Amino acid sequence: MQIILNGEPHPLEGDYTLLALLETLEVEKEHTALMLNGAVIPATSWHKHILKENDEVEIMVFVGGG
Amino acid sequence: MNDPLTFQNETLHSRLLIGTGKFANVETMIAAVKASGTDLVTVALRRFNKAQAEDDLYGPLAQLEKVKLMPNTSGAMNAKEAIRAAMLGRELSKSRFIKLEIHPNPHHLLPDPIETYEAAIELAKQDFLVLPYIPADPVLAKRLEDVGCAAVMPLGAAIGTGKGLSTAEMIRIIIRDTQVPVIVDAGLRAPSEAAQALEMGCEAVLVNSAIAAAEDPEAMAAAFKTGVESGRAAWKAGLMPTSEAAVASSPLTSFLSRDD
Repeated sequence: MQIILNGEPHPLEGDYTLLALLETLEVEKEHTALMLNGAVIPATSWHKHILKENDEVEIMVFVGGG
Repeated sequence: MNDPLTFQNETLHSRLLIGTGKFANVETMIAAVKASGTDLVTVALRRFNKAQAEDDLYGPLAQLEKVKLMPNTSGAMNAKEAIRAAMLGRELSKSRFIKLEIHPNPHHLLPDPIETYEAAIELAKQDFLVLPYIPADPVLAKRLEDVGCAAVMPLGAAIGTGKGLSTAEMIRIIIRDTQVPVIVDAGLRAPSEAAQALEMGCEAVLVNSAIAAAEDPEAMAAAFKTGVESGRAAWKAGLMPTSEAAVASSPLTSFLSRDD
């Protein structure tokens, strides 16, 4: 299946939760905020959301800004 | 000097807020934040990019124990996007502070007052401490206060221009007519301008480019700290009234010009 990860197509084999996706991508989970199909998903729920075809996932971090 | 700036149940001990953008590297930014004495810094959200993992500021900023994070909504083109950015930011910052900024035109980066107002209404309802970046418009400032913003942040000049307090007359009216803290955001270049803002009665200033783009950001951050403290002390001391006519400060007795 394929999801849209940060605006780009991203293939996935098998079932993934949001949490599993982050672990695969080696993202620092404590430094990350997530949106799934436009909705903010709190970190406490990442393990509950199983990704489906064409889901749009945005992984955000803090960078410098004024 | 214990002179805190409070927003509902949040207390700041420095009246200098610092933006973390445009620094040459993380080490320089951290040194400047420390030298500034600030306890509130702004950060932006960006898509995770493994190739630019060093841009992730969460780790370095988390080491600064007394510094709270205020995510901004930069990149938002309208109220809906700003609200979403604010929700994302709160997940990470664990703080109620949000710098609401919606400036869709990249040529001048001036705030969109209508989208800002609409986003402010919703974010205040969602229990954010909303600090909106706004044009120096006293009517808009009052309206934002009325819908529950924790402060208003009128621009001194356009972002990154370093043209100082070009809106000073409008900011004076905002200070006079609003009850929430007025924080000058954007446009400042010199610590004397920060001092002037505090002397006028602004409760704080938010500075980024003036420090990040200085030859020595750490030293400039320290200079802004002094400027802000001096301006605040002067405001509390009460500036003398101005006068159209000269008023002598020495006795003008004519004992030197005897007629003999």
